[in-house]
Amino acid sequence: MIHLTINGKAIEAPEGSTILEAARANGIDIPTLCYDKAVEIYGACGLCVVEAEGIPKLLRSCSAKVSEGMVVNTESDRVVRSRKVAMELLMSAHDGDCIAPCQLNCPARTDCQGYVGLIANGEYDAALKLIKNKIPLPASIGRVCPHPCEKACRRKNVEEPINIAQLKAFAADMDLKSDSYLPLKKAPSGKKVAIIGGGPAGLTAAYHLSVLGHEVTVYDMMEKMGGMLRYGIPQYRLPKEVLDQEINIIEKTGVKMKNNVKLGKDFTIESLRKEYDAVIVAVGAWKSSSMRTPGEELEGVYGGIDFLRSVIKGAPYDIGERVAVCGGGNTAMDACRTAVRLGAKEVYIIYRRTRNEMPADALEIEEAEEEGVIYKFLTNPLSFNGENGKLSSVTLQIMELGEPDSSGRRRPVPVEGKTEEIPVDSVILAIGQKLVTSDVSELALNDRGNIIADPDFFTTNIEGVFAIGDATNRGASIAIEAIGEADRCTKAVDAYLNGIELETRIPYISKRDESTIDYSDREKKPRFTPKVLPADVRNKSFDEVSLGFTEEEAKAEASRCLECGCREYYKCKLLNVAQRYEIHPERFKGEMPQKYSHDENAFIERNTAKCILCGLCVRSCREVMDIHAIGLMGRGFKTDISPAFSLPLDQTKCNNCGLCVSLCPTGALTEKSKLSKQVPLDEQYTEEFVEIDGKKSSVMVSRYNGKILRVIPNDEISRNANLSRDELEALLK
Amino acid sequence: MRIVIGQGSCGIAAGAEKVRKALLTTDIPCEDISITGCIGMCYLEPIVDIYDDDEKLTRLVKVSENDAQKIAEFVRTGSEDAVKELFVSEEDKEFLSKQTRIALRNCGIINPEKIDAYIEAGGYQALRKALTQMTPEEVIEVIKTSGLAGRGGAGFPTWFKWNAARQAQGEEKYLICNADEGDPGAFMDRAVIESDPHNLIEGMLIGAYAIGAAHAVVYVRAEYPLAIKRLKNAIEQAKEQGIIGENIFGSGFSCDFMIKAGAGAFVCGEETALIESLEGHRGMPRLKPPFPAQSGFWRKPSNINNVETFANVAWILNNGGEAFASMGTEGSKGTKVFAVTGKIKRSGLVEIPMGKTLRDVIYGICGGVKTDKDFKAVQMGGPSGGCIPKSLIDTVIDYKALGATGAIMGSGGMVVMDESTCMVGMAKFFLDFTAKESCGKCIHCRIGTKRMLEMLDRITKGEGKEGDIELLEELCYSIKDGALCGLGQTAPNPVLTTIKYFRDEYEAHIKDKKCPAGECSDLIEYKIIPERCKGCTLCSKNCPVGAISGTVKNPHTIDTDKCIKCGKCYTVCRFGAVVKE
Repeated sequence: MIHLTINGKAIEAPEGSTILEAARANGIDIPTLCYDKAVEIYGACGLCVVEAEGIPKLLRSCSAKVSEGMVVNTESDRVVRSRKVAMELLMSAHDGDCIAPCQLNCPARTDCQGYVGLIANGEYDAALKLIKNKIPLPASIGRVCPHPCEKACRRKNVEEPINIAQLKAFAADMDLKSDSYLPLKKAPSGKKVAIIGGGPAGLTAAYHLSVLGHEVTVYDMMEKMGGMLRYGIPQYRLPKEVLDQEINIIEKTGVKMKNNVKLGKDFTIESLRKEYDAVIVAVGAWKSSSMRTPGEELEGVYGGIDFLRSVIKGAPYDIGERVAVCGGGNTAMDACRTAVRLGAKEVYIIYRRTRNEMPADALEIEEAEEEGVIYKFLTNPLSFNGENGKLSSVTLQIMELGEPDSSGRRRPVPVEGKTEEIPVDSVILAIGQKLVTSDVSELALNDRGNIIADPDFFTTNIEGVFAIGDATNRGASIAIEAIGEADRCTKAVDAYLNGIELETRIPYISKRDESTIDYSDREKKPRFTPKVLPADVRNKSFDEVSLGFTEEEAKAEASRCLECGCREYYKCKLLNVAQRYEIHPERFKGEMPQKYSHDENAFIERNTAKCILCGLCVRSCREVMDIHAIGLMGRGFKTDISPAFSLPLDQTKCNNCGLCVSLCPTGALTEKSKLSKQVPLDEQYTEEFVEIDGKKSSVMVSRYNGKILRVIPNDEISRNANLSRDELEALLK
Repeated sequence: MRIVIGQGSCGIAAGAEKVRKALLTTDIPCEDISITGCIGMCYLEPIVDIYDDDEKLTRLVKVSENDAQKIAEFVRTGSEDAVKELFVSEEDKEFLSKQTRIALRNCGIINPEKIDAYIEAGGYQALRKALTQMTPEEVIEVIKTSGLAGRGGAGFPTWFKWNAARQAQGEEKYLICNADEGDPGAFMDRAVIESDPHNLIEGMLIGAYAIGAAHAVVYVRAEYPLAIKRLKNAIEQAKEQGIIGENIFGSGFSCDFMIKAGAGAFVCGEETALIESLEGHRGMPRLKPPFPAQSGFWRKPSNINNVETFANVAWILNNGGEAFASMGTEGSKGTKVFAVTGKIKRSGLVEIPMGKTLRDVIYGICGGVKTDKDFKAVQMGGPSGGCIPKSLIDTVIDYKALGATGAIMGSGGMVVMDESTCMVGMAKFFLDFTAKESCGKCIHCRIGTKRMLEMLDRITKGEGKEGDIELLEELCYSIKDGALCGLGQTAPNPVLTTIKYFRDEYEAHIKDKKCPAGECSDLIEYKIIPERCKGCTLCSKNCPVGAISGTVKNPHTIDTDKCIKCGKCYTVCRFGAVVKE
């Protein structure tokens, strides 16, 4: 035995063993990408370097042998520097998306590609589970979300983005129609959490914390839970029966719900803090913003959310026949379309820019127009005029578009002296909403009048009190933003309750340069949108406008997905090493060595743009299988791995043993799953045994949601048996 | 009377074969006309040496086939007038007289295609001595005494490698000669093989005897067809004489010989990549350990030395290790051959004792810079080496001293540059070479050199930004530390040394968007100084894009929007009116 020291730890290792073997045998992790016991040592990646005292050069620990008295450091500054640069260089030449842009653009990081792909495969329950990892109210959110995911969807570069939001609603509706999914809960932690506010933020936090085993109580001032989803969104867009069902499911996970109790009146944050181990403040923003226009105090001038709430509560404000709604967002749309449904004859949208700049969803703008809403673009209320305290008209300043502002939208500027007066019975101000600051007097506020919450930990000025959603930091935003915060806050609270430190470093992921992506080979397939009620029917009724996807429509729409995110994401060794240190590959941004490509046979897909040239595939094919189906081609930066003469894999001697795929540390080689639409999934791999020609043979079986997705040969017998994956699966007992 | 025509590749390229054929048509008896290899004065080729019956040499240079009759007349009449203008000058004679030739001792003197010529010059005596009078250990001891170190670049003690291979376990061993000379601007190995192939064979056989190898292999690049031809011929002749084969000189020692033509990858000059290539694989370095001495060609103990190293061996055995060691410095013994090229008056092969200075080579032997510009720097050791600035021209030729400058001895390539060479462009040139020649195996070399090249490219295009120099340096050190083989580990040297000695030039490119040497076309502008312009119209006539306008006898102007910066106007102007800025 050889005696040496690694990272200060005295170690014994058999003579002739490498430093890497000695380290790993003693639980010391040294990263490698080109090393595997199955093949000869290669030394390409250089990540396994270590420093040994008295040796000036860095040693590649995969080949350097241990020697008596050796003193090794596997994480010295020099070693780490070398590995970081190696990874930065490697990632600068790795053309792939770890995660699809839709998911990255979702404030809650919902796995859009995952559930869209599962829907395409008809795996609705699996899709729903994936969604519920992030969103406990998917049927509701699917209906109301302004879907930032779709803005990032690359299918827009082919024709139109995938209808991700509606697909989510579809999967959630399927779940509501059957035995709804209830997540497995962790064992009770014995910790108690109070949540103030039962809107999307509060309910999401309640759901996740409950699943994590904590005892959660939600306090809400309204009659029913749901917050703005219930009281700010009209019935025709989100039927409250759907919301009720989803809240029921949350309740079934063990969340206690208390309504008609108000912060500051029935309890204080301090009083809850005494009773609970943690408190989350998610009170929302319930006050309509003022436009500071003369005449706002007149009778007949209403706040947008106040108006919507009055309708939902069954006691709508008197709006008369001529209604002007100020604003261009979704609340303005909700207000004007609700006004139409209440019987108003003339409903105007007063918006200071043009249709193109309107933040509201394009479909909403269109549907409102179909229902009879009149758009007054490039106008801004100058004054609300009235007699005897009652509104009678609004004077509009005519605007024009000037230079772009910081948001990139062209700034509206008044056209000197040009005004217009329109007679109205009511005005609805739908330009934003604010926190009622008196409710949260115990907490520190910022100069915008919102609660100051730490962006990573969501902590407030009171220990153990966290705050999320519309009431915090930058103020009101969309529901999915609040849900995302709630999800992250849950982790912070859980860590706080368990007394552990929360990792807030955002780990590196690889992203493709959008400008380099070629879509010319994609077949154009138009986007499906669910059917809607006819305009002349829906403008008289609060029935849901959208009829939702049929199963066929949903599958067809989901199948349009371009599958941007890498299927090997969950087991990518490259990503794992890349995330080990803080790296900045953009420092070395430059040309990519290979074009994004696609080559496949019945079992294997190849994309050399993701290849890191570790050579494991080539070497295993040569050294272990003696097949030589692929080899290295070219020199320098453009070195590539390819079958001889650049033939497709199908025309080689490849026997589909799958060894190369199982050794590939990244997504350059992928074993196809049994799903017709391939999806990146967190599959569970187990080693199982089959009998081939009377001999026991090992196979790796991957399962997802209880289904077998892949059966991969795992020893000499199964690799040389030339059995198809189906035949192998049939052998599984 | 003998007439000898220098017929290395260089001579032939300059027209030596035409001269020989022309001479054969004269009345000079055919049997008096013969060839030799590279004489070493590339800038004077073709060269014809005329030895009279007393072996007195008359050397004619820059000879053309039209001179054949004049030469015949001189041979016939002895009248010098006929060929006077072809005489080598006294100055040029110094190019050879100031050298000390050991490795090149027969080059340009004997006929490389005749074994008898080599034997007559004392050839194969050292081999006979070794095989019949010395034990392998004694041979190694002599080499140890001589201080001979690897001439391929790394300068590793030869005896140590031989001894390691000798000590290595295994019946079958290989002795390999690395003749994959790939550095741009280096050609001494080719000269040795083309001009004195038996010297290489003898050195290799002695080496094979010393380590106990029964197989000798020469890995020579396929781009050296003449070298391969002459070496094959020499091997055949040596076999006929029993010098290669079974029981050589009745000593009981047997050794066969093989040539492998490499397919042209620079990295195959790296010994483990060379072995991979010999075995028929893609030329990619193997991880060391194990070293070739333990596990090399066919996983058998193998020893690899460079051509020039072997070319010294027979001389050392004949003259003793001490004689070799008497030349040079404390750490670097013997002589070294340099291939001097670039903006130098006398380019060619220079062999001088270690311990001389760069000035001795560049000015003393090669006559300094050939242009009217000042000497700026010399690139030593090709793409793996570095550049040494004017201020360090008195650096001693010694492995350590050269290494201390950031350059290396390398295989002996010396590219001389004057003030018109942009040092960023120079670094880019060499890096472009290494980036293309990277085998693609390790990350640092494959991607790192490419990223460096991209940065240098941006800098020379005026797209460099603050922090680029520091990022380049960081990347350089990372590559040196992390690359798998010598190619990658040394690839940053040209960049590091140019940053070290010419940082201001990098800064001028990045900050001022100017190329001080006026070489980076994206950063220069051509202008006409009106006071100097005579209106001769030569520039406008030569401008390929019609960017120059003006009337006769009036100053012309350049439309910089149209100008493609080809520099034609600059070259043709006879009044210095066109300037680069």
